Amino acid sequence: MPNQPEANNWPRWFDPRSRSLGTFGFILNRVTALGLTLYLLMHLVALGQLAKGADAYDGFIALVKNPLFKLGELLVIAAGVIHGLNGIRIALNSFGIGVRRQRSTFIALMAVSVLVIAFFAYKMFSEG
Amino acid sequence: MTEQPWQVHFKIYRQRSGQKPYIQTLTLAVDPDEYILDAIERIWANHDRTLTYRHACHHSTCGACGMRVNGCEKLACITTIRSVTQNGGNLRIDPLRNFPVVSDLVVDMGDFFLRMNKSGFDSVALSEAACLPYEKPKILMDQAEQVTERLVDCIECGLCISACPAANTDKEYVGPAVLASIQFMYAQNPSQELIDQADHHSGLWRCHSAYECTQVCPSGVDPAWRIMDMRKKVLTDRIKSIFRPRSQEKKNA
Amino acid sequence: MRESLSPKRLEGSGRWLLKIVAGLLIVFFLGLHFVVNHLVAPGGLLTYADVVAYYQNPVVVVMEIAFLIVVISHSFLGLRSILLDLNPSPAVLRFANIALVVIGTAAVIYGTWLALTIASRG
Repeated sequence: MPNQPEANNWPRWFDPRSRSLGTFGFILNRVTALGLTLYLLMHLVALGQLAKGADAYDGFIALVKNPLFKLGELLVIAAGVIHGLNGIRIALNSFGIGVRRQRSTFIALMAVSVLVIAFFAYKMFSEG
Repeated sequence: MTEQPWQVHFKIYRQRSGQKPYIQTLTLAVDPDEYILDAIERIWANHDRTLTYRHACHHSTCGACGMRVNGCEKLACITTIRSVTQNGGNLRIDPLRNFPVVSDLVVDMGDFFLRMNKSGFDSVALSEAACLPYEKPKILMDQAEQVTERLVDCIECGLCISACPAANTDKEYVGPAVLASIQFMYAQNPSQELIDQADHHSGLWRCHSAYECTQVCPSGVDPAWRIMDMRKKVLTDRIKSIFRPRSQEKKNA
Repeated sequence: MRESLSPKRLEGSGRWLLKIVAGLLIVFFLGLHFVVNHLVAPGGLLTYADVVAYYQNPVVVVMEIAFLIVVISHSFLGLRSILLDLNPSPAVLRFANIALVVIGTAAVIYGTWLALTIASRG
């Protein structure tokens, strides 16, 4: 990869080697952003089944009840929680609030994310 | 020196202008407490006179010897070998990222210096202004009556730009040091001209809060804090401008 | 390389502020979405009949459409922001601007149509 800035360097966005915690925040935010956008479009297309009537939609729901889809759904929730909480941190920082505590804020918010994700995972997989 | 010398395996990025880069390997006996720059100078003096690198003051004031040491941006003149490797360990030396390589460890920082210049960066300021607002040293409090000047913190070494993920892909990105300079100058003398240098797509809004600039800054400039502070100033100005009468808008523009 | 010293203004504070406001609204709507979902339809909206019944409330229809607009705005402004990180040529950016506006508007129209269709089936 070239040494000067170039669009081809984009894989480096996701390379955390010899970088600090802030880069993990950046990587998480970017990965979840792309994942959630993909989900949003898929979600809109999938909900189109509603327009086709009861049979189409209920058949679709039966399909997404299998564990693989549920895992995917959990990933979406995880991405949403991480992106949302991290986003609040970045928004506050951009108004000059809590910039010097961004590191500890990040750790605290990610700890909260883990708890929320664990809660949803438990709820989704225990209720069947 | 009470300790035995360390054996360190240097792996140095070598590149002649326009040619393919390669890694030169070399094992050297070093004192763990000497600085990376000392070792590089000995490599140049005793082993390979073709190695090019920049250096001047040897005490972190000139900002010339920025390079990547085992992947992380460091000023070679103040980084001890002990702090980055171990006896028998590797020491990978690369040029700064996000600047074109001129030769070996020397990069072209021309655009960066021009941008610094454009922001009106002044390397001497009133002591009060040269400090970050959150660090008011006691000496200033004691000498409140006295007007003192000092060198400002930024030494224009470019480490922050090398570490920044946004600067990796956008060659027009103004970059942490310059945005910090804009904030610094704006805090002393607000102007629309400075806002215009920061408030555009390759300016303040390209920052994605990785905070790497502040992490690697060897001089305590805290560019990330300054970027966020400038954002606050620009957003406040922007929100106020919505309520400002048109005629006044023109006058300020 | 030197032309880079004269900046253009393609993403200024305005568009960026819009993204942040939309982001905060999403946090708000998503919270509302979960709360309403659990109050109106405990156990989730897992059958066609449940969904149709849920959409009989006009507040729900308005909320869902507003949510869609906010989500699309935030995500498409975000995509544009990632594209700007790549320093696109003016031609690529112009094309992307049009594509994002067209796809975004289409998504909002489609979502609104879907919400109204479901609401009308009560």
